[in-house]
Amino acid sequence: MRRALPWLGLGAAAVAVPLVVRNPFFLHLCILVAMWTLLGAAWNVLGGFAGQVSFGHASLFGIGAYVTIMLYLKAGIAPWWGIPVSGAAAAVVSLPIGLLTFRLRGPYFSLSTLAVAELVRLVALNWESVTNGPVGFLITDLPPVRILGRAVNWEAKEPFYLTIAVLAVAGLASTAWLRRSRLGAYLAAIREDEDAAEAVGVDTVRAKVLTLALSAFLAGCGGGFYAFYFRYVDPDAVLAITLSMEMVFIAMVGGLGTVGGPLIGAVFLIAIGETVRARFEVGHLIFYGLFMMLVIRFMPEGIWGRARRLLQRRAAAGAAAPGGLDGAA
Amino acid sequence: MALLEARGLGRTFGGLKAVAGLDLAVEQGEILGLIGPNGAGKTTVFNLVTGFVRPTAGEILFEGRSVVGLRPHAVVARGITRTFQVVKPFPGLSVLENVTVAAFPRHPRRRDAEDRAREALGRMGLLGKERTLASQLTLIEQKRLEVARALATGPRLVLLDEPMGGLNASEVDVASGIVSSLRAAGITVILVEHVMKAIMRISDRVVVLHHGEKIAEGPPAKVVQDAGVIAAYFGTAGRQAS
Repeated sequence: MRRALPWLGLGAAAVAVPLVVRNPFFLHLCILVAMWTLLGAAWNVLGGFAGQVSFGHASLFGIGAYVTIMLYLKAGIAPWWGIPVSGAAAAVVSLPIGLLTFRLRGPYFSLSTLAVAELVRLVALNWESVTNGPVGFLITDLPPVRILGRAVNWEAKEPFYLTIAVLAVAGLASTAWLRRSRLGAYLAAIREDEDAAEAVGVDTVRAKVLTLALSAFLAGCGGGFYAFYFRYVDPDAVLAITLSMEMVFIAMVGGLGTVGGPLIGAVFLIAIGETVRARFEVGHLIFYGLFMMLVIRFMPEGIWGRARRLLQRRAAAGAAAPGGLDGAA
Repeated sequence: MALLEARGLGRTFGGLKAVAGLDLAVEQGEILGLIGPNGAGKTTVFNLVTGFVRPTAGEILFEGRSVVGLRPHAVVARGITRTFQVVKPFPGLSVLENVTVAAFPRHPRRRDAEDRAREALGRMGLLGKERTLASQLTLIEQKRLEVARALATGPRLVLLDEPMGGLNASEVDVASGIVSSLRAAGITVILVEHVMKAIMRISDRVVVLHHGEKIAEGPPAKVVQDAGVIAAYFGTAGRQAS
């Protein structure tokens, strides 16, 4: 229960943001930050905790986006119900992918995720009878809903923000839980030395497949939210390799294998990305790339990872501080 | 019935016979020394028994049941565990976390697993270092950590791959004491080692491998006088004379 308190606090703070941020553009940025926090956390579970670097997470995100939008357009199931279904669908799809690709280790695994992502993108592009091919899907109207007697205004940002804020906080909390769990200990062992992990009795394939499924669930939920918010899904929008890369960058800049990292990474990268995009119409990606290089060169453990280490050092310097090493993060 | 029994065990890598036609039996409570020149196939035997490499011939029975084809973690679940010739700690994890991971499969609750880990660390003299990162330990501490990790899995048979390699004379004495203490705890040990003094002192029985085959077996004092063993280590006298 004591561990849940900070998360309830963070959840309350996140939900309170629209009371302060009134400007729709800034609220839109908050939505992007929360969405990318969720996606960064999804990638970080596998890439940071277990050390299994995936370059193909866009496929899981994209599957989630397609599931939510198709359930709504073809079966009339509202997107907010579609989002958890998207997560479950991505998790189910991830199982055979994991069983196949986790036979490979290190760079071979990473390359195979890239291949799987490309495969999914080509299927979505060419299986026109199901996916509409390059045309994709568009939601023109969201279903009317009344909450506490008031009709929800789908033209405002607040309903979307609240949805993704709850998802992002729940996603981060699930990674915090994972880190303390038995599976989390197995993942740390796998990241450090896979052979030694097997030698002490860890079923490494099972641990990796389970983790990929959790990661896929979070990424799939993120994709479902994307479809709900942007109301438009096509292969370029939700299955592009740049999305996979963005998830890697956010987890890395924030801090690989940390719980808070994806939030910090998303804040910095979205803020920098949008600021320079507003200033420089052409070439804004140069600044983005420059920032990435600076972080990798000077803070390889990420912003959150570095901050945590500095705090620990200060705690250690402040005489005897025996509780410092584990950190709450 | 022997605790571990291998019959006609063989493994080829391409055209190379790493192990061939090996019969091996280890009795409950025994310390078996496995020696031989470099490349004799000692580590391959460990890899075969622990599931890291599949045999191309033969059978391995543990407590009467075959362990061939099991993945390493499943072999550990049966009660066989190993250490590595080149230590493989989890360098970025604390000493306690290193050992807790090994206790987790049998003790799903973190508190139980940590209790079991502390017990194993205590037996290896590493209590007080729980919070240290494994990468910051000295070599002998890392070797002790690896044995602690093996103990935390709750094994009946431990395979130690050169636990004394790289240690100085007084450290070898400490390591010998540790191996003997495993038997006192009811754990059977197979030991690959090049430090002859230690092998002679603590093994009940020695098996000598050469080119993947068993060339001698028996009490240590007898085996070192075996002409075939001396030839394998130093070359034959006849060849040197001619």
